[in-house]
Amino acid sequence: MAQPLIKKDDDRDDEAEYSPFLGIEKGAVLQEARVFNDPQLDPRRCSQVITKLLYLLNQGETFTKIEATEVFFAVTKLFQSKDTGLRRMVYLMIKELSPSADEVIIVTSSLMKDMNSKTDMYRANAIRVLCRITDGTLLTQIERYLKQAIVDKNPVVASAALVSGIHLLQTNPEIVKRWSNEVQEAVQSRAALVQFHALALLHQIRQNDRLAVSKLVSNLTRGTVRSPLAQCLLIRYISQVIRESGSTQTGDRPFYDYLEGCLRHKAEMVIFEAARAITELSGVTSRELTPAITVLQLFLSSSKPVLRFAAVRTLNKVAMTHPMAVTNCNIDMESLISDQNRSIATLAITTLLKTGNESSVDRLMKQITNFMSDIADEFKIVVVEAIRSLCLKFPLKYRSLMNFLSNILREEGGFEYKKAIVDSIVILIRDIPDAKESGLLHLCEFIEDCEFTYLSTQILHFLGVEGPKTSDPSKYIRYIYNRVILENATVRASAVSTLAKFGAMVDSLKPRIFTLLRRCLFDSDDEVRDRATLYLEMLGGDGEIVETQKDVKEFLFGSLDVPLSNLETSLKNYEPSEEPFDINSVPKEVKSQPLAEKKAPNKKPTGLGAPATEPSSGIDAYEKLLSSIPEFSSFGKLFKSSAPVELTEAETEYAVNVVKHIFDGHVVFQYNCTNTIPEQLLENVTVIVDPSEAEEFAEVASRPLRSLPYDSPGQTFVAFQKPEGVPAVGKFSNILRFIVKEVDPSTGEAEEDGVEDEYQLEDLEIVAADYMLKVGVSNFRNAWETMGPDFEKVDEYGLGPRESLVEAVNAVINLLGMQPCEGTEVVPSNSRSHTCLLSGVFIGNVKVLVRLQFGLDSNREVAMKLAVRSADEAVSDTIHEIVASG
Amino acid sequence: MGQAFRKLFDAFFGNTEMRFMKLVGFNVEKVQYKNVIFTVWDVGGQEKLRPLWRHYFNNTDGLIYVVDSLDRERIGKARQEFQAIINDPFMLNSVILVFANKQDLKGAMTPLEVCEGLGLFELKNRKWHIQGTCALKGDGLYEGLDWLSSTLKEVRAAGYSSVGTSSF
Repeated sequence: MAQPLIKKDDDRDDEAEYSPFLGIEKGAVLQEARVFNDPQLDPRRCSQVITKLLYLLNQGETFTKIEATEVFFAVTKLFQSKDTGLRRMVYLMIKELSPSADEVIIVTSSLMKDMNSKTDMYRANAIRVLCRITDGTLLTQIERYLKQAIVDKNPVVASAALVSGIHLLQTNPEIVKRWSNEVQEAVQSRAALVQFHALALLHQIRQNDRLAVSKLVSNLTRGTVRSPLAQCLLIRYISQVIRESGSTQTGDRPFYDYLEGCLRHKAEMVIFEAARAITELSGVTSRELTPAITVLQLFLSSSKPVLRFAAVRTLNKVAMTHPMAVTNCNIDMESLISDQNRSIATLAITTLLKTGNESSVDRLMKQITNFMSDIADEFKIVVVEAIRSLCLKFPLKYRSLMNFLSNILREEGGFEYKKAIVDSIVILIRDIPDAKESGLLHLCEFIEDCEFTYLSTQILHFLGVEGPKTSDPSKYIRYIYNRVILENATVRASAVSTLAKFGAMVDSLKPRIFTLLRRCLFDSDDEVRDRATLYLEMLGGDGEIVETQKDVKEFLFGSLDVPLSNLETSLKNYEPSEEPFDINSVPKEVKSQPLAEKKAPNKKPTGLGAPATEPSSGIDAYEKLLSSIPEFSSFGKLFKSSAPVELTEAETEYAVNVVKHIFDGHVVFQYNCTNTIPEQLLENVTVIVDPSEAEEFAEVASRPLRSLPYDSPGQTFVAFQKPEGVPAVGKFSNILRFIVKEVDPSTGEAEEDGVEDEYQLEDLEIVAADYMLKVGVSNFRNAWETMGPDFEKVDEYGLGPRESLVEAVNAVINLLGMQPCEGTEVVPSNSRSHTCLLSGVFIGNVKVLVRLQFGLDSNREVAMKLAVRSADEAVSDTIHEIVASG
Repeated sequence: MGQAFRKLFDAFFGNTEMRFMKLVGFNVEKVQYKNVIFTVWDVGGQEKLRPLWRHYFNNTDGLIYVVDSLDRERIGKARQEFQAIINDPFMLNSVILVFANKQDLKGAMTPLEVCEGLGLFELKNRKWHIQGTCALKGDGLYEGLDWLSSTLKEVRAAGYSSVGTSSF
């Protein structure tokens, strides 16, 4: 977990006070720069002025074109001075000013002269500057000198040439690649710096050739790399080679011995680099991990903060995947909670929270409470997030964790911090039913004294959703109505909506709610009055008390079935006219997600933000959408909609993803298409689906998309019939067919005539997991006992040789598409056996529970015992069939 | 023509180590000659460098302008650049020394012809001198520099003077 390294503000103030440059001004310094033009130069004074100029540039000050030109030419005049200190400043200044190409040529000759001078300092720096300003043609002219410089006996000169090579490789790779021999020679240099830079350049030259990199690495592990920095690089390259060599071979891991040897190196940075490399090996075993953890543990008690930080940060990462391996360090880490360095302390805390077991939670919480008061908000957020995941891991401990959260919620803190706490409480309320009532009350208390309008409105909305479902909804009313009396207009309006929700959902509260709402009719803000009037009208507050009708509820509190961003775009495009805005014209589909976004690691559970975005992709919205299409209205109730599956690569002409909608006897493919070419309009878009590898499916309907303009997503559907209740599987190939019309980009008008065209999409599969809904149970053992052994089916399977148990467990979970319960999807590192509990609902609304027991023998053969309980014998058998055929 | 000028100065400064194909940019040297310390800005004459010359005009006491006497065709262009330099506000007070180079070669313009070509006779209130030279042998070089140092001594009582030079 990356820690934001933010200095405390007061630190920075201290620094500024002692800065000799405090308060210097660009205009004044530019005036001073006139001394560069003096016939009799004062090198000392010139150096000082350049220092000021450099300071300004580094502070982000910019010079206008004229200013830069003036300073640059004035600086070039300093070449007449033979003062070496001043010359060095001149080099720096030329580099920092980076003047335009047509001006900078003026110093070429002078730099070339310096590059061949007898003064090593001139040579090294001239090389750096020259390489910075050079272009391809000049580079070929000076190439000879650079090659010589790489093998120069002066390390400063050689390093300068090598580093320049690293930069030049970006712009002129073909030239730099010709220097391989010289660079290779430099790798053998006795000078540490040269060896380091040479290795970096050599690797970059060869980086696209896996074989060459691997050869380079194995040669160097045999030879002697003296420079610790170079050895760190080597370790990184080794990690890369190990990663790329794949995980095919069993036996000993290549290069592991070398890495392990590095743990005994005398330089700490090498030790650390090796330890980190070992912890990051894919599928690392505990035998491999142990020596690395041992040295990291030693670092934890080092007197150097940087080592403590590095070690605890690495251990923090290890704790995510191998919590057991880190437990040995827990004692050392507990002492780090009081570390002066807050980054170290925070990392120690969060690591402990990850590795701790249920019994240590209370003790840890006590320690954290003391610690919270003296860390910055950024760190507090990290701690809150760690506590949230801890709570989800040990639901029984929710009471102390919820207490902790409510306590810190009462303390001072900024918006982000408060939001993190509120989000955590919301998630706990959602996932731990027992925590609901106390959590809601904590939130109520919080809004009594909350300075953030955003949080208040979000909490009020959440209260409106969850409050009416509790055993005693009336106790929340007071908190909500207090908002109407005490807060600003935005919060008051939200509170009115929340009150109305209580009124709509809880009939017994209606009369009282109406009274309160009527009081709001005299509010000073029109939005508040409008809302109150609307709710009173719709809920029938003008007289008799009737049960609120379903469509009224839907109208008032239902979610919009269009994505907000699409609605916003459509509203912006709408021009006021006789014709009213038609909400049906808003595209319903979310834009196909760019690949980058999808790659983002599993989204963190979002708290309050989530309900607002979910309806657009949630099953409700899909159901509404599908039932509005006549061809599909007879299919019955939608059982499951899959997540969108991309059928195109990122950044192709047309982006298409598909959502699989599973009905009892039908399957509907919803193809979400986006046209990314501004010069094209697509019409009559259909997907031709070939079910030749899906025998049990027969196409029954298809709904083309009439028009697909640029960057405005649209959908086309294809429906298949399949045997009812049977989890039929198959593979479908897809071709996008359409009529393409050229669009004039300047006018946006499409041509009359179009051309028919096709576009090959990737195949799509219906798998057994598509017929399974992930539905968790809070207490698996209870559920298992309740289900009873009537339809229990048990069998054993051999899964063949596997790299690890983790892989086998994940494979089976994915195959079945069920919800892992009680955190059993996490396999402790290197365990030889594991039990995994799964629950789900199978098509036909049959509840299914699965207990998987895995064992690993000495030949890495995995055996699995599968026990299924469900309400239907056939389904239990089906689960076994799925596993047997998977 | 940087080449020719370099040879000229090799003769003057003794052989420097540097032998580049072309002078891209400038070189600056301090040279003492007859009690006068010259800071010589040797500026390359390539087309793309010419717009940059003006940045070195300020504080210039003297201009040495080297002309290829053999190149009759481009004397017009040489005149244009020359006039642009000497009429620059920063150069109005500088003295002018023109080397009519390559006098050893057949068909070269005489110094008088070069004078006419550059328009030296039309100059008013300027101190100028033309000198025929042969850079390869160093002929005429010292005569020119003698003129320059004595003229500058006249202009300034003593001390440093910087001399801007340009080859074309």
